[in-house]
Amino acid sequence: MIVRIDSLTFRYPNGTTALDEVSFSVSAGERVAIVGPNGAGKSTLARHLVGIERPASGTIEIAGRRTDGLGIAELARTVGFVFQNPDDQLHAASVTKEVEFGPRNLRFPPARRKELVESALRRTGLAQSRDAHPHHLSLGERKRVALASVLAMDTPVVVLDEPTTGQDHASVVLLGKLVDDLGADGRTVLAITHDMDFCAEHFDRVIVLEDGGISWDGPVDAWLAQAADTAGQAFELPQMTRLGRRLGWEGSVSTVTGFLEHLAPGADPAPAVSTAP
Amino acid sequence: MIEVKGFSFTYPTGSRPALHDIGFEVGPHELCAVVGGSGAGKSTLAGVVSGTVPHLTGGCAEGLVQVNGRDLADTPLSGLVGQVGLVMQNPFNQISGARFSVREEIAFGLENMGVPRDEMAARVDTVLHDLGLTKVRDRSPYELSGGQQQLLAIGSVLVMRPTVMVLDEPTSQLDAAGSALVFEALGTLREQGVTTLLIEHRMERLARAADHVLVLDGGTIVAKGSPGEVLADERLEEWGVAPLRYTVAARRAAARGLWPDARPLPVTLDAAAEGFGATVAHLDRGDR
Amino acid sequence: MSTVQFSPHTTGNSLVHRLSPLTKLTFAVTVTVCAFAVVDYRWPLLLFCALLLPAAIGAKVLRRFLLMLATFWVPVAAVLFVVQGFFFPEAHDVIARFGPLELKSEGVSYALLTALHILVLMGGFFLLLLTTHAATLMSALSERNVSPSLIYIVSAALQIVPTLSRRATRILHAQQARGQVIHGLRGRARALVPLVGPLILGAFTDVGERAAAMETRGFGATRRPTSLITVPDSAVQRSARAAMMLCAVVAVTVNVWGVMR
Repeated sequence: MIVRIDSLTFRYPNGTTALDEVSFSVSAGERVAIVGPNGAGKSTLARHLVGIERPASGTIEIAGRRTDGLGIAELARTVGFVFQNPDDQLHAASVTKEVEFGPRNLRFPPARRKELVESALRRTGLAQSRDAHPHHLSLGERKRVALASVLAMDTPVVVLDEPTTGQDHASVVLLGKLVDDLGADGRTVLAITHDMDFCAEHFDRVIVLEDGGISWDGPVDAWLAQAADTAGQAFELPQMTRLGRRLGWEGSVSTVTGFLEHLAPGADPAPAVSTAP
Repeated sequence: MIEVKGFSFTYPTGSRPALHDIGFEVGPHELCAVVGGSGAGKSTLAGVVSGTVPHLTGGCAEGLVQVNGRDLADTPLSGLVGQVGLVMQNPFNQISGARFSVREEIAFGLENMGVPRDEMAARVDTVLHDLGLTKVRDRSPYELSGGQQQLLAIGSVLVMRPTVMVLDEPTSQLDAAGSALVFEALGTLREQGVTTLLIEHRMERLARAADHVLVLDGGTIVAKGSPGEVLADERLEEWGVAPLRYTVAARRAAARGLWPDARPLPVTLDAAAEGFGATVAHLDRGDR
Repeated sequence: MSTVQFSPHTTGNSLVHRLSPLTKLTFAVTVTVCAFAVVDYRWPLLLFCALLLPAAIGAKVLRRFLLMLATFWVPVAAVLFVVQGFFFPEAHDVIARFGPLELKSEGVSYALLTALHILVLMGGFFLLLLTTHAATLMSALSERNVSPSLIYIVSAALQIVPTLSRRATRILHAQQARGQVIHGLRGRARALVPLVGPLILGAFTDVGERAAAMETRGFGATRRPTSLITVPDSAVQRSARAAMMLCAVVAVTVNVWGVMR
């Protein structure tokens, strides 16, 4: 288990409980989406993984080590955290320098550093903008710079906080591919998201947080299959799931490909990624 | 009423126009949605219609922009207060910083307009209720979550009852419940005769709420029409806009003869369910 | 989520809390002016003990009141005693010697009087701050035709510190999460650019957007903005303020006459 959280409880300074006895484990290479309504404690939970918040009680183990005694900078070797607002971190004069900041802090040798930076720029579609000043880029591009700067740290665990917010279609497609690739590389991805279509198309497992506790933890399709229609008020279920229900289908479909397969098995060999003919 | 004709705009530091030869109209009781990829000029267009571009940004503008019959080139921003409301992309920057509670923050615009206290209190409380902010009314605006700040930013504009509303991705940080409240409020405004220009990426809600959709790409309008026409266009992805999953499913099904022939591609759940319902019935009869 | 306690205001429903901020402001000014009227250290001490302390007790803010005085007044008083006690010009009456330094009684008396004047001044204003929400004070001022821009600047300044400090904390976390170590002097120095850079760049973009938002929300559109908050006031309080202002005038007169003699 790369991440093991046991009875994690956290309270805000004003005394309200943000997380109540939360426990779960994640194994290497898993792609886990953390979903839930605004204010359910998703960000607070994620912030514990990098040591920004410390639990009132309970334990967190990352890659076999308890995080109690570890500082944020030490945990950064194992957990890369992509914050929601890129403007809280961009400071360098060029995209390349910005992306190099993490690997440099982690004292990677120059050759490895260069390789990691190049790969991160390529994966985030920023190779063309490598010399641009980050603050001259659009919000969507700045978010991708922040993402690249974390990928370049080559951490076994990557945590994404609302990665699709403020991103255009092309970036969301790119992000989806990136999540798939990271999983294929054996890296663990945890993402906080309220984009249920994104969740259904790119994650194997979903953890649903409600009022500071886990109300579901398991495969995405199994959750969707049992999620009540009323859950749609809080979660906006994937479009294809709702369409399947309208057609009275048993079980659950959540993606276009899954839907077409259910409609007429074997009829649709086209890839799920693009609508181009 | 918004009327834009032959409008082009270049930022002071820009090498090419951010908007080029834009033309469209939105009437009262109408909601016009603007979609497009990153850097297509959507936020600039929001600024143009609300008068902040080029009045506050500088830059070179050509062509006509009229709001409620007034030419914005000769109207100072103060002349638009109470007529045009702008909800910006980043709610944090819309908070005045000069009010100490959510309730006072919402009242800020009304105070500036000199609205009497009793009327102001009633209007503020209505907006707090409509946007689900009553619980946090006494909190500092800076202590709210991103989603709550976004609702606050919308509320602080709604309360001024503008006749033209311009909203730049107002639901980006909201969950399903929060965005439902916003779209409900927008629906009410439309019934009251407000003209709305909405930049939005939630295609599903937009398809139901919008009267027209404009697609911006590289600063020009590449498509405009009803949601049914525009959102089912197969070039949507090339323009940097996410197609609805039902539309994609129907297009792929159509290529395999699994979508009813004469039926247009669906852009709402209802239309998709009807179309695929017909396909299922057809398949069940086994005469494929 | 870390919240920064900046506003000293305490919630409460005592008589002092319920007074109009203008009454409390007038009181703070009057009591300060009066403290200077009589050149005797017992006079400001009497004012403090007979008026300010009971008010702080009545408002149930005594602990925070004393804490604020300990933080702000004690250091000032200490400096005054050292500087005036040892270096008061033309003083002869030596009380004690510390090596080459001579503590003189004229200096100590002067320091005592000045420190007590400052005690009354600080006490009056701390009482106002502790029992008045900034919003109420701002509304009260705007009703008295104080310029909206001035009120805006003061209110924004009151909030900018906690806002900036929250943002700085977020930036600090973000950079540490990218492996930046902030231990020791060198670490801190190196952390400066990645910390301050986003803070300043962010502030610049914010200013432009916020200006646009303020314009569209009609800031400065009318000369007489209204205010959502009701500021409590009464005929009694208005008369009390008039009486206090009269006291202040008398005190100034007494002082001028006293000094002249």
